[in-house]
Amino acid sequence: MNFFDQIQWVFKVLWAYRLRSALTVVGFAVGIASVTLLTALGEGMRQFIMEEFTQFGSRIVAITPGKTETYGLGGLLNTTRPLTLDDAESLQRITTVEFVVPVVFGSGQVKSETRSRYVDIAGVAGRADKAWKINVAQGRFLPTDNWQQPRAFAVLGSQLKQELFGHASALGQTVTIAQSRFVIVGVMESKGEFLGTNLDELIYIPAQKALQLFNRSSLMEIDVFYKPQVSAEQIAATISKRLIDRHGMEDFTLVTQDAMLKSLDNILSIVKWVAAGLSSIALIVGGVGILTVFSISVAERKQEIGLLQALGMNGNQMQRLFLAEAITLALVGALAGYVMVTMPLLLVTFWMPSFPFEAEFLVFVGAMILSAIIGALSGIQPARQAANLAPIEALRDE
Amino acid sequence: MRLIDYFIYALTVFVRHKMRTALLLLALSMGVASVIILTTIGEGARHFIHQEFSAMGSDLLIILPGKKETQGGAPPINGASPRDLTIDDVNALKTINSIDQIAPIIAGTALIRFGNKSREVITMGSTTPFFALRNMRLGEGRLLPDNADSHHSPVIILGSKVKQELFGAENALGEWLNVGDFRFRVIGVLEERGESLGLDLRDMAVIGVRSAEMVFDSPALFRVILKLKYAGSEHYTEQQVRSIIASRHEGEDDVTFISQDAMMSAFDNVMLMVTMVLGAIAAISLIVAGVLIMNVTYISVAQRKHEIGLLKAIGATAKQVKTIFVIEALILAIIGSAFGLLGAIALIELATTIWSNFYLAAPFWAIFAACSTALVVSLLFSLVPAKKAAQLDPIIALRSK
Amino acid sequence: MIELKGIEKVYTLGGRPLKALDSVNLTIHRGDYLSVMGPSGSGKSTLLNMIGLLDRPDKGQLNIGGVATESLTEPERATIRRDKIGFIFQSFHLVPRLTALENVALPLMLSGVPLKQRKEQAMAGLAQLDLDARADHLPKQLSGGQLQRVAIARALIMQPEILLADEPTGNLDSKTGLEVMDLLEQVNQQGLTLLLVTHDLSLGKRAPRKLQIIDGKITEVNEHRAFN
Repeated sequence: MNFFDQIQWVFKVLWAYRLRSALTVVGFAVGIASVTLLTALGEGMRQFIMEEFTQFGSRIVAITPGKTETYGLGGLLNTTRPLTLDDAESLQRITTVEFVVPVVFGSGQVKSETRSRYVDIAGVAGRADKAWKINVAQGRFLPTDNWQQPRAFAVLGSQLKQELFGHASALGQTVTIAQSRFVIVGVMESKGEFLGTNLDELIYIPAQKALQLFNRSSLMEIDVFYKPQVSAEQIAATISKRLIDRHGMEDFTLVTQDAMLKSLDNILSIVKWVAAGLSSIALIVGGVGILTVFSISVAERKQEIGLLQALGMNGNQMQRLFLAEAITLALVGALAGYVMVTMPLLLVTFWMPSFPFEAEFLVFVGAMILSAIIGALSGIQPARQAANLAPIEALRDE
Repeated sequence: MRLIDYFIYALTVFVRHKMRTALLLLALSMGVASVIILTTIGEGARHFIHQEFSAMGSDLLIILPGKKETQGGAPPINGASPRDLTIDDVNALKTINSIDQIAPIIAGTALIRFGNKSREVITMGSTTPFFALRNMRLGEGRLLPDNADSHHSPVIILGSKVKQELFGAENALGEWLNVGDFRFRVIGVLEERGESLGLDLRDMAVIGVRSAEMVFDSPALFRVILKLKYAGSEHYTEQQVRSIIASRHEGEDDVTFISQDAMMSAFDNVMLMVTMVLGAIAAISLIVAGVLIMNVTYISVAQRKHEIGLLKAIGATAKQVKTIFVIEALILAIIGSAFGLLGAIALIELATTIWSNFYLAAPFWAIFAACSTALVVSLLFSLVPAKKAAQLDPIIALRSK
Repeated sequence: MIELKGIEKVYTLGGRPLKALDSVNLTIHRGDYLSVMGPSGSGKSTLLNMIGLLDRPDKGQLNIGGVATESLTEPERATIRRDKIGFIFQSFHLVPRLTALENVALPLMLSGVPLKQRKEQAMAGLAQLDLDARADHLPKQLSGGQLQRVAIARALIMQPEILLADEPTGNLDSKTGLEVMDLLEQVNQQGLTLLLVTHDLSLGKRAPRKLQIIDGKITEVNEHRAFN
């Protein structure tokens, strides 16, 4: 019996028992569909989050004061070993550094002449707009010069501008934060949320003013954007050396965007595969389904088996035929499940391109291989049973 | 036909088809067990977080400096604030009669040096009530002096890991060490205990709040923890605190409150969602098991055509025939659920003996949901083939090969 | 009493209508013993199924014990089948996984008789046919004659008014077949109506009333002219 004959035989049998074949396929397809759906959603989520983080570019090194693991509280805590504006300026002078953004973050009441609002305050420097990829809608961003004695300028997020000034122009007006007056030089475009912070309800002021305002000596973070010709490791080494030279010891934590993205990516991948793993329980139940239907089939088709044996088919061929049936069912089920999930989702992404969904070819191949294995595993026992049936006994059975 | 007879009749079918019955039970019990186990893990995680919170006591309020009106940003972690919340503010709050205990906290990382060893450690400046509020106990030595909120005294209490790293097995009590630029004497070592809400209690140090003000050269409090005298007085207390702060801050009540309850319920909701999603993922396998039941019931109907024809000839109504097949599926669901439940409980028991510090118990609602899903799925999926059986023409059924 | 008035039943076979029963009029009295003969496809089985309420006529009336059966619902017809009609088939139709006793008890189960009582009754039924020793045997452990006797015991268990036997000896050797016939006639002599469908001339002759059916038309044959 050549391969083509076998395939034809298998499909004839499956067609003869089409109802049970169809239902077996459906059961298995639901399993594959759940695996595919969850991996696809997991992958979509991973890419969505990764995009959130990579939108600022990947050539970034973030430096926070203190060497200790602080559970994300980072720059919020006081420190006996501050990172200063001088440090930031010194890093700015490294030739492979494109620019540096010092960051002090806090919150407080911002008052216009008539209105006031408690919002987040970002103490930064010029070019922070470029770093965070937010465009200026009106006016300009903070000036890039003179970090140590900056002029009292401020830039408003789009929503904050609305809240404080309504439709009137804000440029040239002043706002007060804790008795300090700031002249508004720019208003940003709307950007939405990032990690739970509403970037549109933010006021940007020079970092030095923020340090004064919050009565702090240390910056919370220094973001270094470096040039493409150096690697993350190289720039990290350069920065480390520069800061250790200045501080006498390594009293800061340095995280490259690369490393951060890598560990984030790891976590998200794990989440994705765990979800896929959990959903494969359904796949295993689908495998039990194939096993069930097959053991019934072998019992039912004893006469056919006996006849084939009488006609000279040997046990090996018999076993292969039944195995081929099981594997075919699993593969058809896998294909059906995959199509069941990907087609609607592809349609959704067609209408909503931002929908976090990613159909991976690798998942498809994986699903097919996994299905073939499950099909073979569930088919092997019934197939053996068929192969080992004594022909006389098989023929006699009614 | 009596209900019990449907069961006895189904039993004869199961005995005749042991293999397929066993496989159907396997499929169902796997589905039920996976729903129960996954939700149990989810509930275990929720319970763990619960415990972490309630270890702190449920009548705690946390005051953060600063305030914002922007929405979003789940836990209100503010950065710095232009108007500091100070130790004097906290002392003023002590007059509020619904406050049982209150502890100001200044937090920072400080370099602690002893001999030629140095380590950077999260250092909390606070007062004596802090220990009770955070459920921290001393392994040896004594607590901070009672006047820590008014006077600097050069004493420090170390976490067990910090003590170990600086002093090894040597005695640390009474030794002098450097915190930043200041000299402190060790008066206590904390009891060995794990993490609590993201703070490794072994890897920290506690000094008086006035001392911390000096070490970090900043009067700004990181936060204030207070314990209420009576449960349910959060709202009243918040009002009182706000009015006192406003009177001291030129009319601005620029503080933010976090209540233990609010945080706990926020976590609770998230964890419950995660648990539900886990359960739902596992429940897909029950659907697959349902399709299998449908398939096997169809096969069964086809194989038992003669029997169906005979039953009808000797007076079974269509409804009785339908019920026979549906009951078969339901019994499978019941037994499968029971096996699944037993299997899940066995695995959970095993897990609790291995990881005894992690609370695991199958939540009742999950058991109920898993078993009833199995039942409903079996019922729905067997209904179609059972109907087919009921509608078989007895003449054709009897004649069929 | 069973009355058929102008019963008609038409099947379509291969696109063409086929009259299985053509204005059949027949009255069967309690205790009658009728045989129905005819070539295969003549409508014998249709007549039997009609009287057994497994089939519905296209036209005409069928009264059983004074009840007009056309207007009955399916469940009502099922109840009549259960309580008043006993079926005996050529291929016995015992449920293979049930013991002889359980097979006999099936109609009792359907009518809701409790298990214990059911067992006693079925046992008594089997004993009457000398089958009590086989009560716990499965069908595959019984001989053909025994199988048919179990089927007869099942048909009798509800004490029906009429026994419908469709080629009851068709799957049996002649000696066993005759034994089964004797048994059926014995039951008939106790007052039970017996309707026997067969194409075996020698068996058909044994009945006092002989019906011949050809192309759906039924004729009652007189003794002396019968089947020559």
